[in-house]
Amino acid sequence: MYKKVFFVVVLLLILAAVAPVLAQDEVVVRFRSWSPVINTTNAMIDAFNAENPDITIEPDITNYPEYLVDLQTMAAGGSLPDLIGLEPGALTQQYRDHLMPMQECAVATWGEDWEDQFFPVGIEQARLGNPEGDDNIYGLPVLVQTINMWYTVPVFEEAGVEPPTTYDELKELADMFNSQGVAPVMIGAGDGWIRRDVYMQLIHNVAPGLIYEAEDGMASFTDEPFVEAMTWWQRLFDDGIFQMGALGMTHYPAAVEQIQAGRAAMFPMGAWWMQQAGNPDPPPLDENLSGYAPFKFPDVTGMGAPDDLLGGIDVMLGVTRDSANPEAACKVITDFISGAGAQALINTYNDLPAYIGLRPASFGSENQEAVWDLFTEDWLASVQYARQLKSPDVKQALEDALAAVAAGEMTPAEGMQLVQDANNM
Amino acid sequence: MTRRWLIDNQGLFFMAPAMLLFVVFVLYPIFYIFNASMYDWDGINQAVYIGIQNYIEMFTNDRSFGLSIRNSIYWTFLTIFPQMFLGFILAYILTSGIPLQNVFRIIFFMPAIISPVVLGIIWQRIYAPFGGLLADLGRETGALFLIQPYIADPKIAIFSTIFVNVWQWTGFSMLMYVAGLQGLSQEVLSAAEVDGAGTLQRIIHIVLPLLRHVHLTLILLGVIGTLQTFALVFMLTKGGPNHATEMLPTYIFQKAFTLQSMGYASAVAVVLLVIALGASIFQVRVLGSRFTIGN
Repeated sequence: MYKKVFFVVVLLLILAAVAPVLAQDEVVVRFRSWSPVINTTNAMIDAFNAENPDITIEPDITNYPEYLVDLQTMAAGGSLPDLIGLEPGALTQQYRDHLMPMQECAVATWGEDWEDQFFPVGIEQARLGNPEGDDNIYGLPVLVQTINMWYTVPVFEEAGVEPPTTYDELKELADMFNSQGVAPVMIGAGDGWIRRDVYMQLIHNVAPGLIYEAEDGMASFTDEPFVEAMTWWQRLFDDGIFQMGALGMTHYPAAVEQIQAGRAAMFPMGAWWMQQAGNPDPPPLDENLSGYAPFKFPDVTGMGAPDDLLGGIDVMLGVTRDSANPEAACKVITDFISGAGAQALINTYNDLPAYIGLRPASFGSENQEAVWDLFTEDWLASVQYARQLKSPDVKQALEDALAAVAAGEMTPAEGMQLVQDANNM
Repeated sequence: MTRRWLIDNQGLFFMAPAMLLFVVFVLYPIFYIFNASMYDWDGINQAVYIGIQNYIEMFTNDRSFGLSIRNSIYWTFLTIFPQMFLGFILAYILTSGIPLQNVFRIIFFMPAIISPVVLGIIWQRIYAPFGGLLADLGRETGALFLIQPYIADPKIAIFSTIFVNVWQWTGFSMLMYVAGLQGLSQEVLSAAEVDGAGTLQRIIHIVLPLLRHVHLTLILLGVIGTLQTFALVFMLTKGGPNHATEMLPTYIFQKAFTLQSMGYASAVAVVLLVIALGASIFQVRVLGSRFTIGN
């Protein structure tokens, strides 16, 4: 008995001594993010490994709040993984000192003109918030998006109506759908990001580009256009455009469930809504995206809706300075952007590819293909302005102000004063 | 260090492991957080020393912090005492020998073992004025008063959130009281009955005083629970609308991780710690320390 135990202990000791030596031949890239979801990430890794069996990717995908906590803990402990998921602006800037500039990797993979191979919005926003004089790119965009409106095709067909282009048309439709027990515009306004998305489209209609000037101190958030956009926001609640109790509902999953059940005529979302078709066992409206079609936010001012849409980066990836295998990490990132991994990603219709020319292997319906083409060939190319703001404090203040105005706790002017105060800090 | 000294102080060596754990896992984090609260710091990059500026800002110019304190006070009084009251009534009924009382105990206790995350998601659907359970019930039955912006109206959102918490934890209070009631001396209760005390008199003058240790335990756990409230609020309302349901833990999370203000969040955490210490001292000194836990 003792001999057997002794033998096992000796064997374990030998294995423990040899394992690190054996492991040196294996290149491991640790990848942590909140997006893409784990099933999609695994499909991307499988596609990557089919061509690169010598690199092992260890993914760890968590929900966004948990990811923020983990990332900060790992950064404080000096144990950041090789690859991390990033959002443009505040998040990337917070970790900038821990990230490697990606241009060298990009040039080595795609050549000197690599930036031309991406949709412009992806490259511009990758630098969002960089200090003056710093033209580095600390994360490469994987997926990009527009923000826009969607309508539920069967609901519109049954009512015999077309998507609204003006506020009057929107109001008319809202009155009709409200009388039928259908939410005219379903919004989970309990989530700050969707409140902000709608306001960004309103201010883009009222005064395109002005909000970015205000962020830089060249205009004030208390200026008339901002207050006017906030007044329109208030009217969306007061006029019954949004469903009742919108402020007490999250966009995901509560509002989405109502949309999928066919109880919403329209809803604000973005290009990423196409991913509904890629989910396992989708409900009928989601199947092959047969139940939805995108349209531009109606012209509320009556001065004409802008031709362009707002947009930005869905997710980008960066290589950390702690990375033990930066070359392998570069290989993984570039594959996830334009290689086999990217194709696996795009096949799930997760969002729009940042790299020009990628296309899903197949479409389930003509509508789905038409929507894809509309986004990639028409709308995405027109994106000039960012969906995101630079400062997390301004973003939060705007989201708070939108909630306060919608709830009747503040006037539009008071709400915008709150945002300006945050910008002054 | 002589042999004599070692013998005289051998108790120190028995205490050392516990002291070490206390220092590493309690004292050090407290010092770390207090130190961090003196800086303008995003949690990652170089921190800038600003003294007590975070505290000045918090107490003079931070509406969200004020709402968090207000909500914590609401939460303390509107969850602990209703839970105790309802829990006691349920416990009294379910120890009186009614049929299926064990089944009812299980049913009432069940919400306490469900994750607050799940409850937050479920109750959001129950409360939603469009497509929610209460609203649809109201429309189907004509009881239109059920259609309310329960968590969308800043004036009532905190009370709607507190209601969910009471619903969840009343079963736990009931279970504690059931245990307490089963431990009461039947001789005392019988003697009171012989002396002519009615049911209500027995409850008020005999049962409730004898259950003092259960009351104190529930108050202690209730205060701890209040100061730790996070998951339910985060999932149900995210602290909104416009911070109307913000609690100190959710506000700390928002400041630290969403707004990248770890220094400020640390300052709020220090205030939370001081409140917790004050509440603990108050309970031990004023209410006594005869808790069920540890007996």
